[in-house]
Amino acid sequence: MNVSVEFTGQLRTAMGHANDWVELPEGATVAMLLVQLGQRCGEAARTHLLNASKQPQPSLLVAINGTAFPSRQAASTVLSEGDTVVLLPPIAGG
Amino acid sequence: MKPLPELTADEQRRYEWQLTVRDFGMEGQRRLKRATVLISRIGGVGGSAALQLAAAGIGRLILAHAGNVRLDDLNRQLLMTTESLGRPRIESAARRLRELNPHVEIETVAENICEGNVAELVGRCDVVVSAAPLFTERLLMNRQAVRWQKPLVDCSMYDLEARLMTVLPGRTPCLECLYPEPPPNWKRQFPVFSAVSCTVGSLAAMETIKVIAGFGGPLAGRLLLGDLRDMSFRTLPIARREDCAACGA
Repeated sequence: MNVSVEFTGQLRTAMGHANDWVELPEGATVAMLLVQLGQRCGEAARTHLLNASKQPQPSLLVAINGTAFPSRQAASTVLSEGDTVVLLPPIAGG
Repeated sequence: MKPLPELTADEQRRYEWQLTVRDFGMEGQRRLKRATVLISRIGGVGGSAALQLAAAGIGRLILAHAGNVRLDDLNRQLLMTTESLGRPRIESAARRLRELNPHVEIETVAENICEGNVAELVGRCDVVVSAAPLFTERLLMNRQAVRWQKPLVDCSMYDLEARLMTVLPGRTPCLECLYPEPPPNWKRQFPVFSAVSCTVGSLAAMETIKVIAGFGGPLAGRLLLGDLRDMSFRTLPIARREDCAACGA
């Protein structure tokens, strides 16, 4: 299945683009999505997605089909074909 | 709560064009005059919020920001002037705001928000505008806003992106519900045009005015995302977190 992923904030800068389609096995969760993204991106982007234990970065906010959750709450959510996921690391520009 | 103050004839004339805003009126204006708003940092975002709130006639603004005006502040910190280079930011900001509206009381705190001052400052205000460039300061403000049951408007930007949420303690998610920990990799120097930081600051000021005057619908339980790169704006529903260490929802 394919899910649409949008990157925001410093993650967007680190990824070098704003949107992507990611192919995942059926039944994949948000945590699996983050790990897969972490495997194919550079270190700068990976630190926004995963912590040192390769668990979802606690400060990452994840919006699934328009509703936002902290990453640890979203991690076990099972994704479906065509879902849209927005990844929102905190920004604090003032 | 203090009784609503009357407006002087001069104030009525000054605010004449906003007194006709639907659902606002004279009572809303008197509520603004009664209110005290704390603004954490008066840089690109917080300074713009301060400017809008002073123009609107908030009774008292408490501004907290350390340091002196630097040349590289001036692309976005519109309360600072070239003439004030090397002088305390807070002095330049207070002077500009008093020039705009002498009816507003300006209290300056030449410090950033820290463990040592946050409880006292939040305790003395009615609404907090959180615009610090460091997440640890934002989380400190959030904790105290929750503790004192004070509404908090958290406004931030990065590049051409804007984010805004309003915390109504006990009713809505707080900042820590969304972000349980500070991010490990936020860089204090971020890409910014003044046009973006001013937009965010102005939106934060409008939220603050609505919360104080009691009209319209604040961003309660919603996170506003704006992207000025393609001029898209949307809100995402957000929920309280049962195990939140700040608000313990």
